[in-house]
Amino acid sequence: MKAENKVGSVLILGGGIGGMQAALDLANSGIKVYLLEKGPSIGGVMSQLDKTFPTNDCAMCTISPRLVEVGSHKDIEIITLGEIEEIKGEKGNFEVKIKKYPRYVDEDKCTGCSECVRVCPYTKIDINDASKSVKPIPDEYNMGLKSRGAIYIPYPQAVPLKAVIDPEHCFYILDKKCGICQKKCPSGAIDFNQKERTINLKVGAIILSPGFTPYDPSEKIDLGYKKYRNVITSIEYERILSPSGPFKGEIIRPSDHKVPRKIAFIQCVGSREINYDLCSSVCCMYATKEAIITKEHLGEDVECDIFYMDVRAFGKGYEDYYNRAKEKGVKYIRSRIPKIKEEKKNGNLVIEYIDENGQIREKEYDLVVLSVGIRPPEKIDILSNRLGITLNEFKFCKTELINPISTGKEGIYAAGTFTEPKDIPDTVVQASAAAGEAMSILSEVKGTMTEEKEYPGEKDVSKEEPRIGVFVCHCGTNIASVVNVEEVVEYAKTLKNVVYAENFLYSCSTDSQEKIKERIKEHNLNRVVVAACTPRTHEPLFQNTLKEAGLNPYLFEMTNIREHVSWVHPDDPDKATEKAKDLVRMAVSKARLLEPLENRKLKIKKSALVIGGGISGMSAALTIADQGYDVYLIEKDKELGGNLKKLHYLLDGTDPQDYLKEIIKKVKNHEKIKVYLNSEVVDVDGSIGNFKTKIRTENGEEAIEHGIAIIATGAKEYKPKEYFYGEKENVCTQMELEKFIVEENLFNKNKIENVVMIQCVGSRNEERPYCSKICCSHAIKNALKIKEISPDTNVFILYRDIRTYGYREKYYTEARQKGVIFIRYTEDRRPEVAVENSRVKSVKVFNPDLNMELQIPSDLLVLSAAIIPDIEENEKISKLFKVPLTQDKFFLEAHMKLRPVDFATDGVFLAGLAHYPKETGESIVQSKAAAARASVILSKDYLELDAKISFVVDENCDGCAYCVDICPYDALVLLEYIWKDSIKKTVENNESICKGCGTCMATCPKKGIYVKGFKLEQIEAQIEAVLTGG
Amino acid sequence: MKKIYTVEPDLINEIRKYGEFDLKGCYNCGSCTLMCPLTSLNDSFPRRLMLLVKFGLKEELQKSIEPWLCHYCGDCSDACPRDANPGESMMTLRRFLSSFYDFTGISKKLYTSLTARILANITVAFITFLLIISYHFFTVKLKPSEFFPTPMGLEHMFNLIIPFTVTVYLIPIFLMIINSIRMFFSIKKDYPPIPLKHYLSGLNELIKNAFFQTQMLKCTKNPRWLKHFFLFSGFTAISIIVLFFLPWFQTENIYPITHPQRWIGYIITIFLLYGSAEAIWGRLRKKEPIHEYSQPDDWILPVMIFLTALTGIFVHIFRYLNIPILSHYSYFLHIVIVVPLLIVEIPFGKLSHAIYRPIAIYLSKVKEKALIEVTKES
Repeated sequence: MKAENKVGSVLILGGGIGGMQAALDLANSGIKVYLLEKGPSIGGVMSQLDKTFPTNDCAMCTISPRLVEVGSHKDIEIITLGEIEEIKGEKGNFEVKIKKYPRYVDEDKCTGCSECVRVCPYTKIDINDASKSVKPIPDEYNMGLKSRGAIYIPYPQAVPLKAVIDPEHCFYILDKKCGICQKKCPSGAIDFNQKERTINLKVGAIILSPGFTPYDPSEKIDLGYKKYRNVITSIEYERILSPSGPFKGEIIRPSDHKVPRKIAFIQCVGSREINYDLCSSVCCMYATKEAIITKEHLGEDVECDIFYMDVRAFGKGYEDYYNRAKEKGVKYIRSRIPKIKEEKKNGNLVIEYIDENGQIREKEYDLVVLSVGIRPPEKIDILSNRLGITLNEFKFCKTELINPISTGKEGIYAAGTFTEPKDIPDTVVQASAAAGEAMSILSEVKGTMTEEKEYPGEKDVSKEEPRIGVFVCHCGTNIASVVNVEEVVEYAKTLKNVVYAENFLYSCSTDSQEKIKERIKEHNLNRVVVAACTPRTHEPLFQNTLKEAGLNPYLFEMTNIREHVSWVHPDDPDKATEKAKDLVRMAVSKARLLEPLENRKLKIKKSALVIGGGISGMSAALTIADQGYDVYLIEKDKELGGNLKKLHYLLDGTDPQDYLKEIIKKVKNHEKIKVYLNSEVVDVDGSIGNFKTKIRTENGEEAIEHGIAIIATGAKEYKPKEYFYGEKENVCTQMELEKFIVEENLFNKNKIENVVMIQCVGSRNEERPYCSKICCSHAIKNALKIKEISPDTNVFILYRDIRTYGYREKYYTEARQKGVIFIRYTEDRRPEVAVENSRVKSVKVFNPDLNMELQIPSDLLVLSAAIIPDIEENEKISKLFKVPLTQDKFFLEAHMKLRPVDFATDGVFLAGLAHYPKETGESIVQSKAAAARASVILSKDYLELDAKISFVVDENCDGCAYCVDICPYDALVLLEYIWKDSIKKTVENNESICKGCGTCMATCPKKGIYVKGFKLEQIEAQIEAVLTGG
Repeated sequence: MKKIYTVEPDLINEIRKYGEFDLKGCYNCGSCTLMCPLTSLNDSFPRRLMLLVKFGLKEELQKSIEPWLCHYCGDCSDACPRDANPGESMMTLRRFLSSFYDFTGISKKLYTSLTARILANITVAFITFLLIISYHFFTVKLKPSEFFPTPMGLEHMFNLIIPFTVTVYLIPIFLMIINSIRMFFSIKKDYPPIPLKHYLSGLNELIKNAFFQTQMLKCTKNPRWLKHFFLFSGFTAISIIVLFFLPWFQTENIYPITHPQRWIGYIITIFLLYGSAEAIWGRLRKKEPIHEYSQPDDWILPVMIFLTALTGIFVHIFRYLNIPILSHYSYFLHIVIVVPLLIVEIPFGKLSHAIYRPIAIYLSKVKEKALIEVTKES
């Protein structure tokens, strides 16, 4: 398609973590985003979770910065209560018709004060109240454990924080009765006359991430869900654990609100069954998490038993998390539970299970949590029809193993659980990768639909006395119900340099911003103090207002009298008001000393260095190069291709070699990619936007200047020291087996009667406690291949847990059906190999299910060897680029959940096996994601550096270098120069790396370095203000 | 030193000769065992047996009693998340075990080949037919032209029919005694030494199950016990009568309805007809899991019982209606059908379960008692 017909915007369907990630990546790289959400607010399922594994981070804490960023981004338009009706057109130019349902609330006027919710008659009806003629409305966000009003705000941190009316329950909409909310709304935002309307959009690409629906276990009557009150689903339990949930974070059970002391978690509910043969991938981990969190809340002596078939802890950090859970006393019992009985007298539940010795036991529990599986989103049939995309047998979006974000339609990409059950990091990776694809096809039209904000020039206030304006916020009743706001305003007027003070009902509203600008002009204000809610969400808003009024945005100080006063001292309004005054006084004393600061701009080099020429490096290189940036691809081997060269068939039988050859050809022929074979990185200097890297090639050393770097150095197959590998002739690894099958025709040339495969060789042990993720699938892949070419050969797989997650489960089923024999063993009793002369003769293994020592004759012993990092190489790269490694010596990303391809060091990204063991398709997607994130930086002409960073006072600095070592970002270097005939030592900061954490300032004994906006004088003034009252 | 069991992956192919044993992707979840109302704490099933077959542990399988503790209610198959049908697999194992216990090797032949079974029944029926013909020819000295039209009274046969009946019953009894002893010692092989008192005190369990199938009451899908009890009591009652009271029962006299010979006969007939018809009807409709995988093999027994009872009542009806020739023919058919039923189907067919099951339940109970005492002491 010609560039002039392409549209520089993207439609994203789904406002969950996936949709938000893609939205931010695209909007930050110059593409306008329409974020379409079918509910009243964005956030998705992640917003309903209490904590996330394996970091135990609070889900809301990690997601709310995204929510705020998306909500306030100038180039992201959120369309809530919308559905796609029709799509026409093609990649580059789609016409989309969207049906938007009425909210019955004017989004421009509503401030989210919740007054309407308070007065709605439905709000007061308790969910368990069956007595009234009006039935309570089950709150969807709280999984029906609580009721909600007919007008409601989805959850406290919702974006947009606006009320919405449910037309199926609202008395006014149904019968023209009530209407109290409209009368009580202080902003006049309720509009019962709103109608459905159609929005027509033109977009260049579409990303689908509509999420999933948790399985409803009501049909499994033997489990007693909905019959027994204390049998609940995992997502209901998340709400119970959540501080914003029905019991305010107190763990109590539904029937009698007793605190449970014995909790059972039942795995695989609605997964791995004949009618639904897939693994939902996340349930083993989330049950582990829920058990750990429960123990942290209620004490170590709470019993948490998890009933499982295989513990699928295959992701990065997951096996470690599983081990920690066991150390904390979480019990894992290998027994699938088909039936739960209730003890009528106390509502307890009785579970029969089979213990480690094969004995049937019975145990009573206070609460049972069903780990329900992941099912496709509601109405996916309708959606797929309208979009013209095919669904697979499980009704998820059909996709390819080697390209898991494709939908089969060009220009339409899928991310997240829409295509297959998966966890949050994989969703985030897919979202970034999908964004990357969109960026590639729309690279010509970047910036054509985004807003460029124009600001008036900044006034020079350096010669003026401080003229401070103080604005105190009511925040609806959030602050005003406790703090006497008018009193605080009057008090503020008495402070020195305060020339104006006012209170607002809502300082954050649009009209308040206008008023602030007017006051700045009227009263010639040159400093602004806002006493309101948290700067974390609202500081940028007010800074923007100052800019619009012609003031430097850093002449602004915000103090939090909501989280720090009204929310924590609701019982003592007098003292609270005094505290608010103290905080205002502190803010004013700092405001007097505020100086204008500048966001420095850093020109960046629009080129990328990719280290590693395997499928990951190449995929990343292509994604970046397709957008028009230069790529330098460094490979230490003599040819491109990496580990993928050795794979001849994937799990679904497809041959990746053609794909690989195609990619290699594209890379070699791409005019923007320069390939260096037989080359290595020897030195790295600089930082994001301006790296200077020295490489050693076959022709000598070369220096490369680039803006970003992607580390895709891969990993390798462990050469086992166990089980006579390398000593006896009939022992090999899975990759070697593949070679023997394809290249040497092993099974057709020889009669091999018995093949024994041993799983977890070199993984999940003392030396390497992690799981290599793909070996179970790999072994099954080879087992199926053997059965295909030599059906009479017996294949035995000795395993600890079979980790065939997602769709891989059906290959496990196929293997069992084809007669592959799976024999379980436990960690403490590993298989023993018996040898005769130069060959392995048989394998002895203890099977706990039968409690028997079994002996298996073995003509060929295949070891599923671990995937191990190249420790020496990784340590070298780690030092050169200043990026950390995990304990297992893979690279460590910035945040395991929400930043899986970034490093904490800006400008460096990660993809492929270098990150952690994974499948080919997963590597490709992660590479595209890394490339996409890198492209966001490369798409800018310059980087705007944060203004509140360190500043070295050369006169004071004597080069003691205490700060250099202590800087967590390695942003400081010690320098020497000649000055007045003597050597002067000093410290230099790297402004592009410095994050302004202040550690250097706290360490420095000489006032030689400080953080702008947090100078010692400013902090001293605040401390004095609060201690002396002056 | 702990015993080491060698794995024989071919065992499953051998087992499959005896019937369905699909396993269809069983992943040892244990749901079947947990849903089974009859599984005992010490001898849990069906999962363990699925594993024994999968891993090819033939010797262990031959020593197992769990297949006999199962009454095929189908709860396990309902619960199985993989539709692996453990219930039917247990049935197959019972056939396998029966064949193992049978020293003659005939059971194995008949269970693995339907043709063989049909031929066996037809052969015995034919031999019986020949015996009857020769009796008429040589003993009664009827001319061939007189065969068909001449009705025979019953009393004349008693000198032959009684020893004939006893012999026909003794053959399966003899075979079953031997096979039961083989079963007993095969199972006991792995048992630790158990004091005699447990064997004695467990005998009441043996009797309860042999005669009242008390174990079956624990099945969730009742009235299975009732339907089965009809068949069992009818069959046992008529066997006792025929062995010890034949002249009293098989008489030309027509008693009033209140006479036990009449109403006992009718009750037995109704029980047998209803029980077997119900079994046939169930297999036709294939509604219950127990009937889903019904093989032609399974039809033979209820059909033969049905026809036996039917021909039996016709003997009586025609006697009532005073059509002696039809009564005679009914009796002839009756003999020709019931003899193979007894000689083939008891020792070499499904009826063997009537002996094997109570023995298994008995031994399971004995082991349980011994283990309880051991744990009490320790």
